[in-house]
Amino acid sequence: MTSHQEGALTGYRILDLTDSKGAYCARTMGDLGADVIKIESPQGDTGRSIPPFFNDDPHPEKSFFYIYRNASKRGITLNIETEQGINLFKKLAEKADVVVENFGPAYMDDLGLGYEDIKKINPNIVMASFTEFGTDGPYKNYKGSNIVDFALSGVMITSGYPGKAPTLLPGMPAYDAASLIAVVEIIAALYARPVIGGGQKIDASVHEIARTGLYPWSVPIYSHSLTPGGPLPMPESRLGDSIYPVYPTKDGHIRVIALTPRQWQALVKVLGSPEVLSLPEWESFIYRIGNSQDLLAIMLEFTTQFTQMEIWEKGFQEGVPIAPIYDIPTFINSPDANARNYFTKVTHPVIGEGLYPGPPYRWTATQPKIQSCAPLLGQHNEEIYCNELGLSKEDLVILKGAGVI
Amino acid sequence: MAQTALQDILVLDFGTGVAVPDGIRLLAELGAKVIKIESSKNLDFVRTIAAEKNSSAGFNETNRNKLSIGLDLQTAKGKDILKKLIEKADVFAENQRGGVAKSLGFDYESVRKIKPDIIYLSSQGFGGGGPHSDYPAYGPMLSAGSGMLSIWKHPDDPYPVGSNSPLPDHMASKQCAIGIMAALDYRRRTGKGQYIDMAQTEVAASLIGESYLDYTINKRVPEPKGNRCPYAAPHGAYPCTGMDNWVAISVFTDEEWHSFTKAIGHQEWDEDPKFATLLERLKNVDELDKLVAEWTTPLDAWDVQELLQKAGVPAGVVQRAPDTMKDPQILHDNALVELDHPIVGKRLYPNVALKLSGTPALASTPAPLLGQHTDEICRELLHMSDGDIENLKKEGVLESPDIQPK
Repeated sequence: MTSHQEGALTGYRILDLTDSKGAYCARTMGDLGADVIKIESPQGDTGRSIPPFFNDDPHPEKSFFYIYRNASKRGITLNIETEQGINLFKKLAEKADVVVENFGPAYMDDLGLGYEDIKKINPNIVMASFTEFGTDGPYKNYKGSNIVDFALSGVMITSGYPGKAPTLLPGMPAYDAASLIAVVEIIAALYARPVIGGGQKIDASVHEIARTGLYPWSVPIYSHSLTPGGPLPMPESRLGDSIYPVYPTKDGHIRVIALTPRQWQALVKVLGSPEVLSLPEWESFIYRIGNSQDLLAIMLEFTTQFTQMEIWEKGFQEGVPIAPIYDIPTFINSPDANARNYFTKVTHPVIGEGLYPGPPYRWTATQPKIQSCAPLLGQHNEEIYCNELGLSKEDLVILKGAGVI
Repeated sequence: MAQTALQDILVLDFGTGVAVPDGIRLLAELGAKVIKIESSKNLDFVRTIAAEKNSSAGFNETNRNKLSIGLDLQTAKGKDILKKLIEKADVFAENQRGGVAKSLGFDYESVRKIKPDIIYLSSQGFGGGGPHSDYPAYGPMLSAGSGMLSIWKHPDDPYPVGSNSPLPDHMASKQCAIGIMAALDYRRRTGKGQYIDMAQTEVAASLIGESYLDYTINKRVPEPKGNRCPYAAPHGAYPCTGMDNWVAISVFTDEEWHSFTKAIGHQEWDEDPKFATLLERLKNVDELDKLVAEWTTPLDAWDVQELLQKAGVPAGVVQRAPDTMKDPQILHDNALVELDHPIVGKRLYPNVALKLSGTPALASTPAPLLGQHTDEICRELLHMSDGDIENLKKEGVLESPDIQPK
């Protein structure tokens, strides 16, 4: 491997057995400097078939989805359902710090690769297991999916327009939320290793933790609004457009946050203090939510006199938070993303050069970054199996033929 | 008592809203001692969106397991007390309005002079270093400012409106915890602290990276897909009985499709050339969605979830709070916890999400009242005398709760 600047997690090795639903977990730690080895079955991760594709060609090396979520990893193939595969995995686990998997309850245990098995050969191992619905309980055999897990998380009912179907958030929200929480736990377990003298096991049920990951306030808000003998709170609905209204400008839409009276007064000032907006009832946030469609009809006349940038800056000067709704090209070319060097040029042997969103922070000592492009299927087999485990190239030919790698 | 991962770590939470305070709560659950730095003059803004500053559901959820010191940082004596706390701290995290920490004299450069190996995390909406670094920003503006909101809508919606939730706030908070944890581990191995400057727009953009590749490589501006999936049908949220109740259903494989048609009693669809294969189902997805909605409309969302899941088809109620509170798996997992808060009383919250076998996370304790631990912190951590504490309270430097617990 080429030498690179040290990251905060440089020196740790992570074996990543997850598919598309857990890929973001090890990806995040790879950006932080960990040596991540993605282990795919010889047929390849199913994430390789998820669109969008390079030139719309549905080829396993051309899935942007796979390529984005598996950057900063090396990749090998291994069939852990074979005896030789199990042995090879154990050899890798001896030298690893972390194993991440999302096969489902008991799968690894049944192969003899569960936490208790790996711990015997490497007491320092940290093993994180994702499940959709936990390892036992009434939903144990339920199936999840991106939209189903998002629906269950309690966020979907608040997303989109009132009266229309609740709207899915782009990406893989429930899985990514669980992945990020698992990263916190994995690093905590690594941090605690010298203190407790060994590794530990981490369990992450997407159904259980997605609400903590995405929006934990739904139950507390409901619970706080219950009064003994009082009426039940209004059912939660989709209020994005009335709480945080969206208005058109000359060149695109803006979103306005006027929660406090002072913010509302500032907004009226930004718009030139028109009489129709100075009526006292508009000062009430609750009134504005209840009459958001009337307010929109009035607002249009004033907001469309500005560009996104003009009204954004004026809002800042007067004290009302406003933001432009950027499309994807505009954010890439925005002065803030540029000033922070946020987008990272990465070259991949099949899809070529692209700009990738990088880690969302700048560090003074150990800057996280995309360490490498995503691996081609089995790209690092020789590097890992021969150079590290001492197999010969001839061995690899035999193992390939036998369906082990 | 079992050991915790962060048992000797002291974190100063000079945060507001969600992005920093929610991330710091995870550190508290991992065993760190967390002190929230606040005052009546500079309230965490989530305290202000409630009838009383100690009765905000959002605040009380976000700030569990923390201590609160009421400290006026506009005063010289208040600054001195914070400096003494910094001497003992491992982590300082802030997401005050851009420029506020600096104007108070607690930016990274100032804090590291007091504690050279401090880990200092700052989170701003658009991040530091750009033209909008100092612009106040709330989560819903940052899904807007990152490109994420532009594709968060149905194809026929006139423009995107997002959600009641402050996303990406709660994802940014996890990145905040990740950054601090990794920096702590690096410090343990090298002795070096550092400064982490997070941008919430970047957190949002990093969750939809494949869309950015589609633009930068295929030169195509990604179109919003709403609930549609290019490789599954049906795939969406379908209406059920009652007001605004919905169930999410997704059918990916042929096996799932056959299970689906059998379970809902429409096996004739298997033979219908419009729906027999995934390709046909996707071509005729508008008609398919209409038929599925006709089937779900007279049914209870919970019944649809159970019927389809028993048949092996992914389905789930589009939950709101009362659904979550009766969800049998959530109850089985103990995923909600009742806490008795001195002002708002017994209320429900999501339980601790962290499940570590060797260093178990701490059980939840209620969020602090503003200044609830002022005396304790000053006495035990800063070894101040009761007389000094009383005098500083009279001067308005220190603050204790101004409300009597029930």
